[in-house]
Amino acid sequence: MDDYDTALVLSRVLTSGVVMSIEKSDRELPGLERSLTRASGRRHACLVNSRSAAIHAALTGLGIGHGDATGGAGLGPPERSFLAWLGVTADDDVPPPFALLTHADDLSDVDAVALVVDLTGLGFGPAAAFLTDDAGAHARAERLKIFGSYDLRTMWTQEESGAEVVPGVQFNYRLSPLVAACARLALTKGARS
Amino acid sequence: MITDFPSAPLPLPSEDELTAELAALGGEAIVPKGLRRTIFPVITKEDVFNLLLATRQDPAAVVAGFAEKYRDYVGAAYALPTASGTASLHAALVGAGVEPGDEVIVPAFTFIATAQAVVAAHAIPVFADIDPVTYCLDPAAAKDLVTERTRAIMPVHTHGLPADVTAIRELAKRHGLAFVEDASHAHSASVDGRIAGSIGDAAGQSLMADKNFPLGGEGGIAFFATADAHARAVEYLARHGIDYRMSWIAAAFGASQLERLPFYDAVRARNAALLGEALEGTGLFSPPHVPSGHVHAYNMYRITLNPEAAGLGDLPVHAVKEAVHELLVAEGVPAREWQNTPIPCHLPFTHRAGFGNGHPFTLNPGAVRDHVPQDFPVTLRMLESTLVLCRELRSPVEYERVLRYADAFGKVARRPDAIRDLVREKDYPRPYEKAARLG
Ligand SMILES: Cc1ncc(COP(=O)(O)O)c(C=O)c1O
Repeated sequence: MDDYDTALVLSRVLTSGVVMSIEKSDRELPGLERSLTRASGRRHACLVNSRSAAIHAALTGLGIGHGDATGGAGLGPPERSFLAWLGVTADDDVPPPFALLTHADDLSDVDAVALVVDLTGLGFGPAAAFLTDDAGAHARAERLKIFGSYDLRTMWTQEESGAEVVPGVQFNYRLSPLVAACARLALTKGARS
Repeated sequence: MITDFPSAPLPLPSEDELTAELAALGGEAIVPKGLRRTIFPVITKEDVFNLLLATRQDPAAVVAGFAEKYRDYVGAAYALPTASGTASLHAALVGAGVEPGDEVIVPAFTFIATAQAVVAAHAIPVFADIDPVTYCLDPAAAKDLVTERTRAIMPVHTHGLPADVTAIRELAKRHGLAFVEDASHAHSASVDGRIAGSIGDAAGQSLMADKNFPLGGEGGIAFFATADAHARAVEYLARHGIDYRMSWIAAAFGASQLERLPFYDAVRARNAALLGEALEGTGLFSPPHVPSGHVHAYNMYRITLNPEAAGLGDLPVHAVKEAVHELLVAEGVPAREWQNTPIPCHLPFTHRAGFGNGHPFTLNPGAVRDHVPQDFPVTLRMLESTLVLCRELRSPVEYERVLRYADAFGKVARRPDAIRDLVREKDYPRPYEKAARLG
């Protein structure tokens, strides 16, 4: 993507006035979610603000937490350290429960239940997504984010919204709309060229 | 395209409106429908230009440049820019020496992220009640909770009013605890000239776009008093493969906004003073109390109700509050509750799954308590007797709008009869009997 495109997207979002991720009227985060679900053929996307956050979201979505074991074959040192910090034991002989990808990969050609897609390489700051067909996994991953899948209007009233998905520890893994808007255009351009 | 221009200017207030029929009973609203929107954050042409300039710069330099500029503004020794306020609190805690299983004392009244950041550090939040006047952490309540395993105390400068930092520093010193500030509401707030974020051993601060000092989306910053604490946080994140880096887009927007922060601070202070004076005159309402030497940043403006002063002392205070809330909203004043139950009564702290299988709570079962709202009587009393103005007073609100807010409070305060009728008609639940809300 050239500088002109980035400039145009940034100006457009700034002009809309909506730069906050928990704003009801934000269109940029849902837009990037749509691009990613379309490109991957997966039903749900959980956007986050880094690669480590996306791994955390995927594991939480899959119900893997502290004290559990999972596959770790092929993971690099930062991912192994991160799993250890989460209290998840990684078995080197077993593949991880998610496919670890970047924006440069062809997402339509991946045969995995869970996709972790690192978008940081697009150049707009740390950004990533967890993609899945499983609605329950998506809901659990969203709940890992404070305010996840809710907004300033509804403000996450616990009983009203799916008390069966009770969050444990939560992080602010929310992605910024400005970053999402730039990432989306870059992905679209990349797909075209 | 959304334009920042409202469809019409707000009319100037007039005396007659004060005695007109309440909007809830069919009268005209003090702030007319269609003229209630406030813009936040304000995005100027130089913000746009500065962001475009940043696309030509090295992303790491944009983030570092922002962090240095803001660190200097705050007067903190060391800074670590992060992806969010929650991340900054996590970094501040580990930098200050918090280890897995340690206890960290936090107020029961705050945003949930304060306590979740403690859990993120694999430590246990221990909840203390608040001061009945400032609504910040009560140092005496905190003192009663100190144990052998307490490692840090993390007050919140709630709504922008600095906590009692002198008492907290003394307590921390006496017991060898780290003093970590949650300065997420308190940009530019100060005690005796020292800006929030530079007072404790470490501090975390949210810079998300709904705060007084907004970045371009999500962001935060941790401050440290020593190079050691800063290095410990940086090393911790690297060692554990945690990516908490701030986006250069958020940073470039923030660097541009920082130029105008003193202007917005001044507008908020002016509006708070004007509204405060008007509230004092109503009897029913009182403005936030600001101890001498403290500068309040007014990220939120919490108004206390005094039903006795309006001859309503025989009614339950929470019911008076609910009735007043309804009447104010009908007048076009966007009052809110902002929290309705103590944080330890939110689901993540009643279930305590943590990272899974109860970690880190299982590391220190002695520190864990099954709380009920009544464990925090001061917090409950505050939740039952106060209302909050948030972003509607945060943006550089026009003079005529603040005057209208003031008039709406005055108009409602003149009608204890209408308040009494509503309380009689409706069976209002107590705040904490409703579903727990984050904001
Ligand atoms: C008191 C307090 N602490 C921490 C946070 C967390 O900050 P962030 O949302 O940027 O992660 C917030 C607000 O959002 C807050 O109000």
